[in-house]
Amino acid sequence: MEYTREIYWNVGHGATTLVPMYLLTILAVALLGYQARRLIADYRQGKSLDRTDNLLGRIVFMLKSMVLQSKVLKVRGPGVAHALFFWGFLLLFIGTGLIVLQADFTDLLFGIKFLKGTFYLLFSVVLDIAGVVAIAMLFGLLIRRYIVRPEGLESTRDDAIMHGLLFAILISGFVIEGARMAVTELGTPLALWSPVGLLFANGLAGLGEESLRSVHLLTWWFHLLLVMAFIGLIPFTKFRHIFTTSANYLFADRGPKGKLVGLDLEDEEADSFGAAKIQDLTWKDIFDGDACTQCKRCQDRCPAYNTEKPLSPMKLVQQIVQVAHNDPQADLIAACDKDAIWSCTTCRACQEICPAAVEHVGKIIDMRRNLVLMEGEFPGEEVMAAMENTEVNGNPLGIGYASRGEWAASLGIKTLAEDPEVDILYFVGCYASFDARNIKIAKAFIRLCQAAGVKVGILGKEEKCCGEPMRKMGNEYLYQTLAGENIELIKAYGVKKVVTSCPHCFNTLQKDYRDFDFDVEVESYTSFLEQLVRSGRISLKSDSFDCTYHDSCYLGRHNDIYEAPRNLIRAAGGKITEMDKNRSEAFCCSAGGGRILAEEKLGSRINIKRVNMAAETDSPTLVSNCPFCLTMFEDGIKGAELEEQIVSRDIAEILAEHLKETV
Amino acid sequence: MKILVCIKQVPDMESKFKVNAAGTWYDDADLAWRMNEYDEYAVEQAIRLKEQVGDSDLTVLSIGSKRVQETMKKALAMGCDRGVHVNDDIVQHKSPFEIASIIAEFAGNKDFDMIFTGMQSQDRGSGQVGVLVAELLSLPCISTIVEFAYADGKVSAKRELEGGTRALVSCGLPALVTCQLGLNSPRYPTLPNIMKAKKKELLSFDVTELLKVEARQETVKTYFPDKKAGGLVLEGDVNDLADQLVKILKDQTAVLA
Repeated sequence: MEYTREIYWNVGHGATTLVPMYLLTILAVALLGYQARRLIADYRQGKSLDRTDNLLGRIVFMLKSMVLQSKVLKVRGPGVAHALFFWGFLLLFIGTGLIVLQADFTDLLFGIKFLKGTFYLLFSVVLDIAGVVAIAMLFGLLIRRYIVRPEGLESTRDDAIMHGLLFAILISGFVIEGARMAVTELGTPLALWSPVGLLFANGLAGLGEESLRSVHLLTWWFHLLLVMAFIGLIPFTKFRHIFTTSANYLFADRGPKGKLVGLDLEDEEADSFGAAKIQDLTWKDIFDGDACTQCKRCQDRCPAYNTEKPLSPMKLVQQIVQVAHNDPQADLIAACDKDAIWSCTTCRACQEICPAAVEHVGKIIDMRRNLVLMEGEFPGEEVMAAMENTEVNGNPLGIGYASRGEWAASLGIKTLAEDPEVDILYFVGCYASFDARNIKIAKAFIRLCQAAGVKVGILGKEEKCCGEPMRKMGNEYLYQTLAGENIELIKAYGVKKVVTSCPHCFNTLQKDYRDFDFDVEVESYTSFLEQLVRSGRISLKSDSFDCTYHDSCYLGRHNDIYEAPRNLIRAAGGKITEMDKNRSEAFCCSAGGGRILAEEKLGSRINIKRVNMAAETDSPTLVSNCPFCLTMFEDGIKGAELEEQIVSRDIAEILAEHLKETV
Repeated sequence: MKILVCIKQVPDMESKFKVNAAGTWYDDADLAWRMNEYDEYAVEQAIRLKEQVGDSDLTVLSIGSKRVQETMKKALAMGCDRGVHVNDDIVQHKSPFEIASIIAEFAGNKDFDMIFTGMQSQDRGSGQVGVLVAELLSLPCISTIVEFAYADGKVSAKRELEGGTRALVSCGLPALVTCQLGLNSPRYPTLPNIMKAKKKELLSFDVTELLKVEARQETVKTYFPDKKAGGLVLEGDVNDLADQLVKILKDQTAVLA
């Protein structure tokens, strides 16, 4: 006898089963469609945004993220549980689909059966295992959510419905199988190919055939009802993420990473800039909220949230979508809370980890833009003063612009105005130009270049702030003014390559300036120096020393430069003891997002938290690659009273110290 | 209500100042320019008054080279309705009386109800211009105000006096006030207002049209004062240091007297 089973066994073939079953299905799908339309109408309140370019690449990314669960798996534990559950459920879905295909189409219409023989055995055992894995993972997730209760994980009515419904569907499925097997398969070799079903069958066997048939029939319809409830409830509950998160992969931001969307400030038609209402955001900004599963991974990593500030990236995204669904005319900024909006350091930890490809930072910047450009509001007087300083002197520190190049006076470095024939333009940035501590980094970088025989020029007093902190604070007008002036200048000198020692300058010149027809090559000093070391143009003494290394947000997460700085440290003899939070998980220093201009008035100090993490490695030196980080760590080390234990150094200083003096 | 606010463009005080070749003023090279701080308070207060009374017209006036138009744009972006630029390339050589006379000449037949000026400029600091304008126009003048209120045709302004005391002074319109630090926090111009400012009327006069008086004073010399003796560093045992310090304070200062 060929291995197979009778589909619709005990339930009945033909119209008495199929008609109510398909009527229920139509009802469920109709309910799903009805609510989906309402949700889509809510998303469409947002402005248009094209996210269909490079469709093939988008589809590949979507399938990879969905089927392989690649983003979900970035966090072990719950990530693995979710992925296994997903795969289990996916197999069950496919299995059910095959049954429908055979019973209601190929067999019904053409008499073709494919669920038989070896394929049926495989089908049977795979689905049994899939089911039991799904139950086990669901149970694990239930324990986590309701018993372990990780900090910050909020459980809503949706979560209860989802756990209950999924358990009921999975268990009732096995009851149906067990009841059927108890009558038809017990004692046959076929039963071994449904190991879990066999367990249920053995448990039920004592009931006798008549009762078993009743249990089977009732449970079958109950199971069907549950599945239809599941389908119908998708758009009403967090089940929606099956569709919305998948779609969010399709519509994900495809970079360049951390490049903000520009604003057309000359737009005569625009009566408002930035986002004050839900209609000022794009549809994707609203949709993100329904793609979010409130897994809180962003919140766990947010430097603001972790220092008792009023920002949770997860809640902000939820607040936005709730406004769109419930109160579309509401004041969006009030709904999200101004203090939360100002607390963001744009460190991108949220977006980097988000398993749903939600884009948090752009929304915050859009709301900041409204506050600054339409209301003239800043998080504090000191920020407004920094803006005015930048307008007058081209730097937020308020130091006379004419002294910008003075740090280089004794180094034999000329400005491009004096000599435009250079190998590289060193775009120094405000902190390395004016701040006593950071001037040492500029000088160290020059020493390294000179040792390698690289001819460096600077812009001197003609250089202006790249505009990054202003832009991240929402002052798009000032940013565009500064960008325009810098670009015109750099292009006029015919510069071939720009190197920066500030990752904020780097990210801005390398990505944001491209909006203004800026096509000069831009490189971070870390990768530039790594090349010089690798090619032997810089020789380093490698006497060994211990340190820990901090990935700045703008070199790390924004540009994925993780190894070049580490290679440089090792080339100089450094032994790096990593902090727990390193590379893409690195914890911000507090100064990104224009927060370098602002006092940190809410919660505890981010920089102190980070410096303490560095101190926990017992390393005597904290090496970083960013003037803002360095400034924050110098301050944080004092604040944490760790002066005796650890010092803060920039990578350029370390390298310059380890230069092998030639001759 | 017709309102006039007078502003001056001054170098950023963080700039490095050098005395010019003639030795009569500072050298213009490498300076960054901005609105005189006290004039920012004047502009802000003028705009607040305009917003309060509704039907009003606010003119901002500045004297200087073409360069001052940049600063005037900020005042227009903050909310002034029109600009009046009195073109004068050598404004730095005009005495406060001449400057005041130019303003008075312009304002004389315009029936301004209210005139705002800063209490002094950050670069020359004579503190005379506003007061002289009031005198030349025969207006009541309240100087160095730190609070301003307008109601029922009357100005009530608070002035800061020595020792932390304050005086409340009131007068009818027309009137002139000179504005002091603490009066208000000047607003940051919004983008739509920056854009609107670009299209606002900017009238230009040549200084010769408005200057009808002779200078009554001149700056003879501008110079850095001789460096006084530097600081004194005391070293040694803490107890001795305290004694030494007390002795110095007794002998050379009046703080312990």
